[in-house]
Amino acid sequence: MKKVILFWMLLLAVVFAQAQETFPRNDVKDVRPRAYAFVHATIVADHQTVFNNGTMLIKDGKIEYVGGARDIPAGYTVYDLSGKYIYPALIDPYSNYGEPKPERPKGNFFRGPEQIQSKRKGAYNANEAIKADFDAAEHFVIDNKTAGQLRKLGFGAVNTFRADGLARGTSTLVTLADGSENEVMLKEKAAAHYSFNRGSSTQAYPISTMGYIALLRQTYLDADWYSRQNPKPFADQALDGWLASQSLPQIFDTKNWLEVLRADKLGDEFGVQYIIKSGGDAYKRIKEIKATGATLIVPLTFPEAYDVEDPLDALQVSLADMKHWELAPGNLAALYQNGIPFAITAAGLKNKNDFWKNLRTAIGRGLPEEAALQALTETPARLLRVSDRLGSLHTGKVANFIITSDKLFSDKNIIHENWIQGKRYVIKPLDVADYAGKYDLQVGDRQFAVTIKGEPGKQKARIVINDSTKIDLKTKFSQNLLTASFQLPKEKGSIRLSGWRVDNGWRGSGELVDGTWIAWSMLKTGELEKKENKKENNKPDKEEKLGQVIYPFVAYGTTTLPGQQTILIKNATVWTSDEAGVLEHTDVLLKDGKIAKIGQNLSEPGALEIDATGKHLTPGIIDEHSHIGASSINDVATNSGMVRIGDVIDPEQINIYRALSGGVTAIQILHGSANPIGGQSALIKLRWGASPEEMKIKGADPFIKFALGENVKRSRSNNSIRYPQTRMGVEQVYMDAFSSALEYEKKWQAYNSLPKKIKAQTPPPRRDLADETMLEIIRGKRFISCHSYVQSEINMLMKVAEKFGFRVNTFTHILEGYKVADKMKEHGAGASTFSDWWAYKWEVRYAIPYNAAIMSKEGVVTAINSDDANQIRRLNQEAAKTIKYGDMPEEEALKMVTINPAKLLHLDNRMGSIKVGKDADVVLWSGHPLSVYSKAEKTIIDGKIYFDLEQDQQRRAYIRQERARLIQKMKDVKKNGGPTQRPHPHRSYDYHCEDIVNDSLTN
Amino acid sequence: MKIRIIILMLLTAVTSGLQAQVPEPAAPQEEAILLKGGIAHLGNGQVIQNSFIAFDQGKITLVADATRTRIDFAGYKIIDITGKHVYPGFILPNSQVGLQEVSSIRAMDDYRERGDYNPNVRALVAYNTDSELPPTFRVNGILLAETTPTGGRFSGTSSLMHMDGWNWEDAVHTADVAIHMNWPARQTGQFDFATFTFKRKPNKDYDKQVREVAAFFDDALAYGAATDKERNLKLEAMQGLFDGTKVLMVHTSGPKDIVDAVAVAKKKGVQRVAIVTGTDALLVKDYLAANKVPVVLTRLHSLPDREDMDVDLPYRMAVELTQAGVTVALSHTGMLALARNLPFYAGTSAAYGLDKEEALKLITLNPATILGVADKLGTLAEGKDATLFVSEGDALDFRTNKVVQAYIQGRQLHLKNRQQVLYERYMKKYGLQK
Repeated sequence: MKKVILFWMLLLAVVFAQAQETFPRNDVKDVRPRAYAFVHATIVADHQTVFNNGTMLIKDGKIEYVGGARDIPAGYTVYDLSGKYIYPALIDPYSNYGEPKPERPKGNFFRGPEQIQSKRKGAYNANEAIKADFDAAEHFVIDNKTAGQLRKLGFGAVNTFRADGLARGTSTLVTLADGSENEVMLKEKAAAHYSFNRGSSTQAYPISTMGYIALLRQTYLDADWYSRQNPKPFADQALDGWLASQSLPQIFDTKNWLEVLRADKLGDEFGVQYIIKSGGDAYKRIKEIKATGATLIVPLTFPEAYDVEDPLDALQVSLADMKHWELAPGNLAALYQNGIPFAITAAGLKNKNDFWKNLRTAIGRGLPEEAALQALTETPARLLRVSDRLGSLHTGKVANFIITSDKLFSDKNIIHENWIQGKRYVIKPLDVADYAGKYDLQVGDRQFAVTIKGEPGKQKARIVINDSTKIDLKTKFSQNLLTASFQLPKEKGSIRLSGWRVDNGWRGSGELVDGTWIAWSMLKTGELEKKENKKENNKPDKEEKLGQVIYPFVAYGTTTLPGQQTILIKNATVWTSDEAGVLEHTDVLLKDGKIAKIGQNLSEPGALEIDATGKHLTPGIIDEHSHIGASSINDVATNSGMVRIGDVIDPEQINIYRALSGGVTAIQILHGSANPIGGQSALIKLRWGASPEEMKIKGADPFIKFALGENVKRSRSNNSIRYPQTRMGVEQVYMDAFSSALEYEKKWQAYNSLPKKIKAQTPPPRRDLADETMLEIIRGKRFISCHSYVQSEINMLMKVAEKFGFRVNTFTHILEGYKVADKMKEHGAGASTFSDWWAYKWEVRYAIPYNAAIMSKEGVVTAINSDDANQIRRLNQEAAKTIKYGDMPEEEALKMVTINPAKLLHLDNRMGSIKVGKDADVVLWSGHPLSVYSKAEKTIIDGKIYFDLEQDQQRRAYIRQERARLIQKMKDVKKNGGPTQRPHPHRSYDYHCEDIVNDSLTN
Repeated sequence: MKIRIIILMLLTAVTSGLQAQVPEPAAPQEEAILLKGGIAHLGNGQVIQNSFIAFDQGKITLVADATRTRIDFAGYKIIDITGKHVYPGFILPNSQVGLQEVSSIRAMDDYRERGDYNPNVRALVAYNTDSELPPTFRVNGILLAETTPTGGRFSGTSSLMHMDGWNWEDAVHTADVAIHMNWPARQTGQFDFATFTFKRKPNKDYDKQVREVAAFFDDALAYGAATDKERNLKLEAMQGLFDGTKVLMVHTSGPKDIVDAVAVAKKKGVQRVAIVTGTDALLVKDYLAANKVPVVLTRLHSLPDREDMDVDLPYRMAVELTQAGVTVALSHTGMLALARNLPFYAGTSAAYGLDKEEALKLITLNPATILGVADKLGTLAEGKDATLFVSEGDALDFRTNKVVQAYIQGRQLHLKNRQQVLYERYMKKYGLQK
């Protein structure tokens, strides 16, 4: 019964599948049978189903039968595939095949004039980077050249989209057949695509990854709000597209593991589980990647070895790049071993021919073949929700399959044919004749011995004169004919032959050098002598020795992270930065990550004892103003209050370790100073090796960056058109932002106070993340750290704050703070300043190094900050300068980089001083902590030793040894003729707060 | 009435004196001065714990151990500096002092002439004695600076300036001490926004550019030898390199580039060559030592160039070069105002392995030697310039660097700069004690 129904269903499918029947005809009707039977093949129907001596029937592009041997119905063309294999054709879930290329943005982002509004014409989104209305199906055009390349690799279908914008619209699922778009398009809207790349947008905001995240976040909220309105308040086709595509698979493009985590976190906020296209380095943080629960789309992009012949040039290749070169091929195996689901894409390969080579390398590193097959067939089909049609060979599915000479992943395997929708594409002909053997060539009255050798299809013939003399016989074989020519030694021209196939060779006619026509024959006399295949025995199957993953994946990372210890520091000079002052010959016990005891002659069984005789112990240094540890620092909207540094923590920056070497334990990563209202800060501890989320200080108060003066009025950009351009305008930006926030609050209060029933029927007001941030400030839930220089603007912001009933928490930089220290004290603002910077721009003309001392003595809580990856390593010394400039008492000087910044960051109940119960964040110095002659010997955070001078030596040794090992390995690659690339340094950018440049300006 | 006017005039003079942009230049030394009892750091590696340092008419007349020497105090103005430290004036090479005021304002910049071959442009004539930076340098002990043009292939000719003076003629110590050049880069850096990293590409024109430089030297040599010639200011300026009156300061990085630069310059008859560079010098330190090529280091307080580099390598630059036998001077690059931290770079070198007195040489004797003025400057020695200062404590450490007296060729400097004036003004406003 079931069979009968199936039969009718198939019949119907066939009847209705004639896509072209609506098209006008310009000929007589020409419908072909399109029925084929494949017999005696090994059919791998899916990753767990194999039919030996299997049969497959296909008709009209669909599979009718897959299974064991059976009778072939009449009307089928039969292919005998004895010794051959059939596999489902591969599916690439991440392709731009047949889609228009995005335009490259023109112009200079940094000079201006800034493009504040979207330039896109029509009823679209306010931001150009939101292109959620893009419909790949609408723009899809068959590109047979590209299709041919993909078919050659074994692909039968791809999910294709246009890679442009943060929201890229929908993709379409097409097969790689030629013919008409109508026939190859299997699913018009297959998935919705997103990225951290604004693409062709030239709009000013957003220009950083954190800005991209902020914009996507706001767009989720906007779309939701927009969808609830009836009638719509305005037309926005991008939001329409966004809403319509939410039910599709959601695919997010990322470059590296950090971005995978960021994308997943964004999705979590809105209940979306993205499928994440990753960068091929997930192995670096496999635990965190697994925790995302995401299915990954993984490229096979493995870096080439570096040319490290010259030791000086080789210095330019970082350990991280070398290690990635070695470990990248193991990425897929790592995903498999950790149970992370994934599909494989050919995207990103510079040379598509590397696809199979790299895939086999990955299998060599431990990726099981079944898993590889699944990742290329069933998984992408499942992700794209087309498992009923693609991804395996079962009755009723689309006839997308490949015929191979061998097991798919075998080194020797050849893809002979790729059938797509029942259409045959010959890659390497199956029926190539094998002519190998010894022949007797008779040309007129002359006779020659000939050997034909090589793989069928590429065979070469040679005339053997004697043992040492052989002449090439140039041949061109075709099924029925042979063309050949050769030139004998000392003869001036060549003898040319043309002939036809006979049973055991060829016969024909030819022309001698002098123009005489003759008859010729070449008949087989025997087989070639078989040579023993030595090669395979030559290579002892040695297990390749691989390095280990280090955390973080950069120089000075380690295979194991420091553990929490009970540490007893004995007989130190302890600078408490607290009422207790400086304690001589004192012991400090660190236990469970806290300072447990301070006193004399302490003992603790099992504790790691450190003899600190002659050494000094201080609280960990805290930097109120830093820009290390984040992938981006500035976005450029005048009010960037919705942007969050916390979205883009980058724990792999070497500057974190360098800061640890200077005794720094905690920092505030501030947004830059490109705008009056910058983004939200992140407070982190320098837990070198931890994940981005683990770096963050849990429960810390939220802060935000504000900025005044030359930077925000774009003084050094002559073409800037962005409001504000004067300090007058800066005040108005604040007045406007805070007023708007209060209006926003009113709107929500009105909505929330509606009677329940009415409320249920009323769409809620639009959520605005910038307004919400401003409101948090007014309500004392978020705190300002404001970049400032001259007294007028400092005074102004305090007055604005007072009008709205809150206080400015901190003025940072604040080089003219000394002029208004009394007002700051009265207002309740703190200060975080440079020790001795000045004269680098007009607004610091009157900066004086006595600033910190004056403010401090006037009663303002004053800290010394770095704003600089270089200076952060010497904050103790920067603090010491207040002794030189302003005669600060030494203890007070040290407080400027310990308890005072802790107070400014509202962390003083947990850190900033050596006091029982506080976090075990301390630094052991070789001498007086304010002396140029002292070094940080140990930097301890949460009772874990993150920096240690002796361990640092071990880490250096590890770097040397690993580099030496990898350099040898890369030299071997070069020696064996493998591809190499020129060494080039990967120096990342060290941000300052004035930098507008950002991390992700691609294209 | 008259008296009132005079008082008023006097008051105006006093207040305007206080408000003047820079302190008034010091008057010539009028009497012999004896600094008695100070800890003298001679700048040549030696220390006298209890010293006599005497100077007259701008020259040092006596450097002696007070515990072993008896002198006639008559004829000296005696200043007791017991317990304090006395140093030769620190020398800041390779600096844009006097040519740059507020770096972000173009109108205030005078250090980069257009064009590539500018050996003839002279920093000396653009040196602004009213710059507010020198007064902030000298309170840290920096009494001399080499003011230096930048940019192009041959940036121009530098001069060694006193950090005090009415005008450039008055302020100059030695005119036209060095020609600065930028060696062609074997690799050119490019910031790649796609990957957000600096990428270096080989400079395809490197060989061509080196040939151009070599040809320029050849032309200069030929010009010098020719008797009948049309005047060429650029080639004329180069002659000092061949007779040894000027030092060629080659700015370059990259170990191979350093070797090329030295080899070409020596081959072309340049008598004195120095390299201005950073950590890359360490990769060829033996070459530099063997060829007796001194090094002027770029900012010591800087980040390592590469991730894998030792975290403290920049701090150790001077230490390792000195230990390899290279003559090293420290300089400052980056924000000009921070050049006042030069003494602390020497301090850092001491922290990372040099003896403190050896570290002191990096900012005294060594730069004097490199600039060819060691006969007059760089150490506390009889016959040398009385350019020296007294600090409350160790001048290489932040806590103790407090300059209380400073002399340039015997002239006692006014040490109060505008920053201190503002300090006092606001301390007074708030009723605070210093």
